[in-house]
Amino acid sequence: MIELQGTLETRNPIPFSGRFIGDLHFTHKDVPILIIGHHILYGKVVTLEKPYGILVKDAEVTDRAPGAGQTSYTIRAVIRKKLLFKTRPKPIIANVPKKV
Amino acid sequence: MEIVNKRTLDEIDSVLEFAKLGRDEIKSVTQSIYFSEQLDSEGIKLLELDTAVLTALENGERVIIRGDKEDSAVLCTESETFEVKLGEVSNALLIVPDMTLGSELTDTLLPSIQYQQVNSVMHTFYELRKMKPRLQKLRSLLEENPYAGQAAEGDVDHQGTKYTFNELLNLVQGSEREIKIALEKMQAIVIDGYWRVLDFDFLVQVMSHLLQLCDENSWLDQGIPIQECLSVLQDIFPRTVIEHVLKNFADKITPATGKDDDEKHMQIDIDYYRLNEDKVCRFFAEQILKHARKFNLSQFLSTWEKSVPDGMKTSVSQLEGIALIDRDSNPEVISYMTVDTLPEEISERFNHLFRIREKWSLPEITPYIKDLTTDKMDVTAMLTKYARASTLNGIKVYNSRKPIS
Repeated sequence: MIELQGTLETRNPIPFSGRFIGDLHFTHKDVPILIIGHHILYGKVVTLEKPYGILVKDAEVTDRAPGAGQTSYTIRAVIRKKLLFKTRPKPIIANVPKKV
Repeated sequence: MEIVNKRTLDEIDSVLEFAKLGRDEIKSVTQSIYFSEQLDSEGIKLLELDTAVLTALENGERVIIRGDKEDSAVLCTESETFEVKLGEVSNALLIVPDMTLGSELTDTLLPSIQYQQVNSVMHTFYELRKMKPRLQKLRSLLEENPYAGQAAEGDVDHQGTKYTFNELLNLVQGSEREIKIALEKMQAIVIDGYWRVLDFDFLVQVMSHLLQLCDENSWLDQGIPIQECLSVLQDIFPRTVIEHVLKNFADKITPATGKDDDEKHMQIDIDYYRLNEDKVCRFFAEQILKHARKFNLSQFLSTWEKSVPDGMKTSVSQLEGIALIDRDSNPEVISYMTVDTLPEEISERFNHLFRIREKWSLPEITPYIKDLTTDKMDVTAMLTKYARASTLNGIKVYNSRKPIS
């Protein structure tokens, strides 16, 4: 899981599906760095005090006992850690002349 | 994974350059993250897992979310109940199923790319809050059709719904274990596969037959030999009912270890029950109180004393939880009040109690609030939170924190 402060936006109203978001790097000390658009975000690895279960609804079974109307969920995964990016993104200035 | 225009190392490197992030500062593997083609944030739910729930799931226990349309949802493991609440976050939670943490990355000699996908972006999750199961419904369901004997089962008053354990499980917001404990507490019994409570007058009948039999055979002193008792009474009442009554009003006697004569040895194999004085006296008190609800205290005490079987002694302590004594009124009165008719929700409970009586001492109020204790809050903590303490005639009393409507 990646937790980002704020929301992701696109400049023009285009669908999100399939679009590239950013590059995720890790330093040698395992500090995560996320580069999205013109911003570089530094984050940290957080172990969740209460893990998240990802629940997916199971297909409805209609031939159950009357009055039950049961729906079931399966826990597909348990998320125990997240990358939290809270610090304000640093803007990357493009076209900085290279050092000679 | 179908990704159009896959990102290249060159593109990554040029961004690193702009960001003034040197390759020497980072590990060789970069994860380039895309939104999935099948981005779906509605189809999944995030559920915060309490340790108890996670352990239950890991042990393969059944975890159920229950709730009528009127109730809010609750989640039940086999032994605990949790309220399910929707929580919102202002941050965006991106679910990236195959994301690798830095500590898990194997550093390669040359830079490389892993392509990752965000399947969902979540702004809400469900959190669990442990709660006491909502059991009042259990009682009201069972009271729809109390058992009043086989003969009565066919009559017009006993056509109400009867419930099996599984049906109760579906209708009551509580875990299996908590429901089982509640059923035992309310002295419910299984008859023909259905959970029932005994109609009070019927129970009175059973008890009076039992006591008469005990009296005829001097079993009150010696103890009731269970098989003999059953063989006599099972013509009148179902066996399960008699066993149930013995279980609730008598204690099993452990047979005496082989002492003197051989004759006594023969009897070791017979199970004996001895009627529990406190429980029987309490039952007689209830019989009297149910009829008139409010009594002159001294009249009640003498009627009660006369009603109990010979050899049994009554004591006010046996009335705990079923009667309220008002010693301030003149004459002193006693009224019938049981904890099962009181509101389940804690602040409503206190409001109700303070409406009945302005000031309560600790021994007076404890029987009517102790069913609401949790591991986080005992009786003292509850009183600190929901009542105000003061001293009256040297005794600590509790009253309401706010004006009672």
